[in-house]
Amino acid sequence: MHALIIDDSRAMRSILRRIVTDLGFETLEAGHGQEALDHLEAGRVPDLCLIDWNMPVMDGYTFVTKVRENPDWRDVTLMMVTTESEHGQIVRALAAGAHEYVIKPFTPDAIVDKLELLGLVQGGVPA
Amino acid sequence: MTISQSSFAFVSDLARRETAMLYDAGKEYLVEARLLPLARAAGCADVDAYVTRLRIDQAERAKALDALTINETSWFRDNAPYQAFTEKLLPDVLAARAHVRHVSIWSAACSSGQEAYSLAMLLDQHLPAGWTAQILATDVSPTMLARVDAGRYSQVEMNRGLPATSLVKYFSRVGSEWEVSAELKRMVRTQHLNLAAPFPLLPTFDIVFLRNVLIYFDMETKRDILQRVHRIVAPDGYLLLGSSETTLDMDDHWGREAHGRVQVHRPATTTRATTATAVGWHPTAMTGA
Amino acid sequence: MSTVVEPTLTDVQMVVEEVWNSFLGGEDPLVVGAPGEVPTGWSAAVTVTGAWEGMVSVELPAGTAEEVCRRMLGVEETHDEDVADAVGELVNMIGGNVKSLMPGPSVLSLPVVAAGRVARSSDTTEVCRIDAWWAGAPLQVCVHVHRGH
Repeated sequence: MHALIIDDSRAMRSILRRIVTDLGFETLEAGHGQEALDHLEAGRVPDLCLIDWNMPVMDGYTFVTKVRENPDWRDVTLMMVTTESEHGQIVRALAAGAHEYVIKPFTPDAIVDKLELLGLVQGGVPA
Repeated sequence: MTISQSSFAFVSDLARRETAMLYDAGKEYLVEARLLPLARAAGCADVDAYVTRLRIDQAERAKALDALTINETSWFRDNAPYQAFTEKLLPDVLAARAHVRHVSIWSAACSSGQEAYSLAMLLDQHLPAGWTAQILATDVSPTMLARVDAGRYSQVEMNRGLPATSLVKYFSRVGSEWEVSAELKRMVRTQHLNLAAPFPLLPTFDIVFLRNVLIYFDMETKRDILQRVHRIVAPDGYLLLGSSETTLDMDDHWGREAHGRVQVHRPATTTRATTATAVGWHPTAMTGA
Repeated sequence: MSTVVEPTLTDVQMVVEEVWNSFLGGEDPLVVGAPGEVPTGWSAAVTVTGAWEGMVSVELPAGTAEEVCRRMLGVEETHDEDVADAVGELVNMIGGNVKSLMPGPSVLSLPVVAAGRVARSSDTTEVCRIDAWWAGAPLQVCVHVHRGH
């Protein structure tokens, strides 16, 4: 299974990469929403996207709306991983089509928990 | 001051047996760090002296195990029991209690209340209109009960095991924390209760969650607790223990049923009376504080 | 004149502790409340604009910044680029959470990172300061608001 990690921070991408690699995912990275879209448009469609909100060029919220506009990408699971933690922001992201939401800071367990809720992981390995 | 090898071996063995946590060679510093505050509180000169105490002091052993166990606070912990609740237990109770339209649940050793409120969320989603439910959340710690009453959780706690849709539906931000809704709080009532002591007057429960707490007691106390719990679970009710716990070798008053990966315990009454008449009076007047 | 809204020390402390414990805690807990002169090393800041306007900054000695980088990136050797990135993400997380404590809606800027002190404009007031100690060195987190806002 493939995960696309979208965050403008190399450090954060590195943290997330290590967590999902341990879970058996192969990973791709992008520094902002447009780079992420480029991957999908080039046919590199992941099973899972981990998406930061605040990024240059194209933010995570906009990326989510763009993915959900395309029926070819309807099976891509979209999970926000962001500091945006206001109730209203979470509602907005879910309404735009994000499937799950992790608030930064998080522990590796939190990511695993969410991926289990999404059925992408079972007992620590890809489902 | 470093912990002696024999003390470390004792703690390591205890932890593995009681909590399944592994403290291998190299983790001495962690055991030191986690037990030192308890040692000081108990008036011991150092961790070695404290470990000597642990060999004979039940209460301190429980505290030590608590400190050694990485805090597993999570919503819908282990998930499978909550699935069993939604798929089997609750539908069964709904079928059996149609005459009173009330579900009575006990979250024993509720800690900060994540189990109780997880159940409340499921009830909000699955309880039919016209029904009421009450979750009694008990703990031996008044601090924990106050936390349940407040219903506030940190951002880090909120990240664990809670679907985002439930987060936005049932919680609102208060400062750096999230607080559970008034609707859910109405379903949960707190009460101080020490499992190892005789129970105060309690209603009959349809479902009891007694998860991951029996491990802190010795065999005799475990049996005693289960016997007293047996008296207040409805004959057609359910008992859920922690994922690795079972009554099998403890008490023959319970039968087991499997639901997926979950073992569910039921009172093994020889004459299970019919549901309509046996259950009797439900104190529906038990309103929350 | 409107009252300046500011986050409470308790709330900001909780935010800083949660960020630290999630990614950097482990065997070295963050100890708050031990002020020390922070030797010039690295600093980073984010600004919040909208219903609340302020700035959140972090100041770390060079050694601490390098250690933060090592742990977050999972590497032994650190390069300036990576240190800047790690420190920037640190202030992004702290600042983002402080933003959510304040009235909204508001927008979080991308982090500005400097080797040295991040300049503050003269019309800001410090409303909150966390002095802390980690891995043998002091660090500081500050919240500033615009004076007269």
